[in-house]
Amino acid sequence: MDTLQTIKDMLVKQFDLKPESLTPDATLESLGLDSLSVIEFMFNLEDELHIKLPEERVELKTLQDVVNLLNKVIAEQKPAAQ
Amino acid sequence: MSRHIVITGLGIISPVGNSTTDFFNNLMAGRSGIRRLQTDFIEQLAIRIGAPVQNFDPAAHFSKMQLSGIERFSQLALVAAEQAVHDAGLELAEAEMPRAGVCMGCCQGGVGTIEEGYVELLRHGSTRIKPLSVLLSMNNAAAGHLSIKYHLQGANMTYATACSSSAIAIGEAYRQIKHGYADVMLAGGSEAILTLGAMKAWEALRTLATEDPDDPGASCKPFSKNRNGLVLGEGAAVLVLEEAERARRRGAKIYAELAGYDCSSDSSHITKPDSAGQTRTILNALRDASLRQEDIHYINAHGTATLAGDVEETKAIKQVFGAHAAKVPVSSTKSMHGHLMGATGAVEFMAAVLALQHQAIPPTINLRQPDPECDLDYVPNQGRHGVRLDAVMSNSFAFGGSNAVLIAKRFNA
Repeated sequence: MDTLQTIKDMLVKQFDLKPESLTPDATLESLGLDSLSVIEFMFNLEDELHIKLPEERVELKTLQDVVNLLNKVIAEQKPAAQ
Repeated sequence: MSRHIVITGLGIISPVGNSTTDFFNNLMAGRSGIRRLQTDFIEQLAIRIGAPVQNFDPAAHFSKMQLSGIERFSQLALVAAEQAVHDAGLELAEAEMPRAGVCMGCCQGGVGTIEEGYVELLRHGSTRIKPLSVLLSMNNAAAGHLSIKYHLQGANMTYATACSSSAIAIGEAYRQIKHGYADVMLAGGSEAILTLGAMKAWEALRTLATEDPDDPGASCKPFSKNRNGLVLGEGAAVLVLEEAERARRRGAKIYAELAGYDCSSDSSHITKPDSAGQTRTILNALRDASLRQEDIHYINAHGTATLAGDVEETKAIKQVFGAHAAKVPVSSTKSMHGHLMGATGAVEFMAAVLALQHQAIPPTINLRQPDPECDLDYVPNQGRHGVRLDAVMSNSFAFGGSNAVLIAKRFNA
């Protein structure tokens, strides 16, 4: 699975963001996502990817940070799929 | 020297219009916003009428990202406030922001979000609900959003006093300015309660009007012998209140002076209205406005169309106004826009202010069967143009016994 692409597709769908702005090093802040939008987005990622993200808040600055977190969680929770 | 408070901006999203012009024109024409509801839970409702906002597209006002954190009652408030602020031409310098605030009324906040959460948890057995549920549903969300958007750094308060919530919000905002805590206030109310849970709760209380078999729009019949209850509505109304000197200095258009207010309690029964408490409230508001009974030329009644409510209000008006009571036009615009609960006081006060501005009185529609116990001039079925109005009053009498009366008069510059 291409995690970055999944994230991009969801951001476009959920928040009407422009696909060309969604580079790995783009900061969430520069994309207009405040801490609340991020929480909302993570919630939808859980649904979309059938995973459970950690309860504690994780420091996420860029899209790549989100990719890294998701890949880690996917590896832990869906070992068979990797 | 005492400070005077004037109204310089109005904004409204209501079942009878999404601008002050449409709202007042429809009221004067006697057009009802009450209709058969179209919802996916209609089969679960015994009473299937309501007064929904029409032609309101959230996507036209908010981005998808904003919408994920702004509930319907806050959306309605934000759009009404945008109209009001624009209408007032209000711009706050940075130094003025700490002396500008917001007071809103709301009964049930984001009840739709709360119900969705329960459906997820209880019906679907889900282990989680929307992450922004708290922020969407909290009663003070609308006022919070207004404070942020317009840089209102003074008081930021939300009143939940049932049917008088937004009348009290306006009155308390008036006191903020009058007593010197603020120079500018946004004040009003919003409500979005046409949800399954809220509607079933009202149904269970046996206070809702049944659908008129010939015309759903005619189901709410205040002061009529055949009245049988209220009709739930949704919407928002926001006013800009300003200290008079400030408004005059900047050359603002002034609709009226907010001249008097009182809130006081029946302290007798949780639902049963009490003319004694209402009488006290009206008399206190008149005293606050330094006006005599004869100075009031129109009363926008609470007029819910419940059996007891309309009789008690009639008694209170007679008690206060004595011989003059027969000469004061009293109308219930709820016959058209329904009962907007936390927003209704603001919507009705706005109707009274617009009546003053246009020198025209909106009618009580569906009043075709006189009730001997309701024997005032209720402006039945036909609005009146070309009347002389110098001062107007709006009554709000709530469950819990919380009464509020607002008085506006022509501003003498």
